[in-house]
Amino acid sequence: MSLPYTDTKPVGAADFYFAINATFRFLLEKFGQEALRRYWTDLGESYFAPVSADWRARGLHAVAEYWRDFFKAEPGAQVEVEEGSNEVVVRVNTCPAIAHLRHGARDIVPCFCQQCYFIGEAMSARAGFTARVEGGNGSCRQVFRRADPALPPQELSAIKEATC
Amino acid sequence: MLGCYDFCAHYEWTFEWLRREGGEPLVRRYWEEAIAGDSQRHAAELIIGKGFAGMKEYWAHTLSEEAAGYTFTEKPGVFRSDVHECPTKGFLLRNNLQAYGDYCDHCMGWVGPVMKKAGFVIHHEHNHCGQCWWEFRSNENPAPASAPGDLAGSSDVRQRSGWKGAETVLDSYRAATDPDDKRPN
Repeated sequence: MSLPYTDTKPVGAADFYFAINATFRFLLEKFGQEALRRYWTDLGESYFAPVSADWRARGLHAVAEYWRDFFKAEPGAQVEVEEGSNEVVVRVNTCPAIAHLRHGARDIVPCFCQQCYFIGEAMSARAGFTARVEGGNGSCRQVFRRADPALPPQELSAIKEATC
Repeated sequence: MLGCYDFCAHYEWTFEWLRREGGEPLVRRYWEEAIAGDSQRHAAELIIGKGFAGMKEYWAHTLSEEAAGYTFTEKPGVFRSDVHECPTKGFLLRNNLQAYGDYCDHCMGWVGPVMKKAGFVIHHEHNHCGQCWWEFRSNENPAPASAPGDLAGSSDVRQRSGWKGAETVLDSYRAATDPDDKRPN
């Protein structure tokens, strides 16, 4: 188990996705897009620091292991994690958060899926990696590879807006 | 991505992030607007619409999903809940996580505004060790909190041997709906 914090039950309670979505909406409406992105980056750098430390110590194998364990504990997730010599590709076929928010008829914050880039990039940067996200709104492709200044930056337009 | 498996850990971390951004008033506003008014709107709808039956329906679902140890007691004019193993505080204690001053305040932070809107007041205590009790009554009912065991019998969390040890800081509320209505120790 590569997750830094563990519970006594095997998967989380899906209704907590309601609170995650509501937190994003609260920050967006009160403080704007830049504050929400800073919150995501701070989470990636601070809250997820133990994960970054593990990635830095154990390399791409730790990245793949983390995402397998992470999605195994998220109810309803359908995800494939492919570990290559230069990158880890996470194919999210069914995003558990978007699926549950839709099931609960919740208004999803349109930029909901950008969290995966901003948090993932902050986690990666501390470990010498970089993250890229394509797709969203229920399914996406996330790639983690060694940081390289020659790589083009993340295009936020490549991340779809979430809809109900 | 933020997950629901470790939700209470990044939720608690978020309280401290908000406190640094805007002080305790922003944390209170977050609990009331984002949690009570948005995330938990299904709880508010049930409680405002059905009263005690709605409380039972909401907490039976959510405490079961979170694998909590709890009991409910309903008597004329009062609905009581005894939480013997709070799943979220337990997660934080087991993983030795504390970013914010008092995680337990968040419950009164969102439950309080919901109950106020629904016309109830709360007698409540928590011991910061994963145990707490709640009594909900109409805001027109002046009855004091029950004595240990009177309402819930042997299920009353106050009868546990570990309820209040020498080091325990017990937070108490009486006829409250606001997280800052905590009685002085």
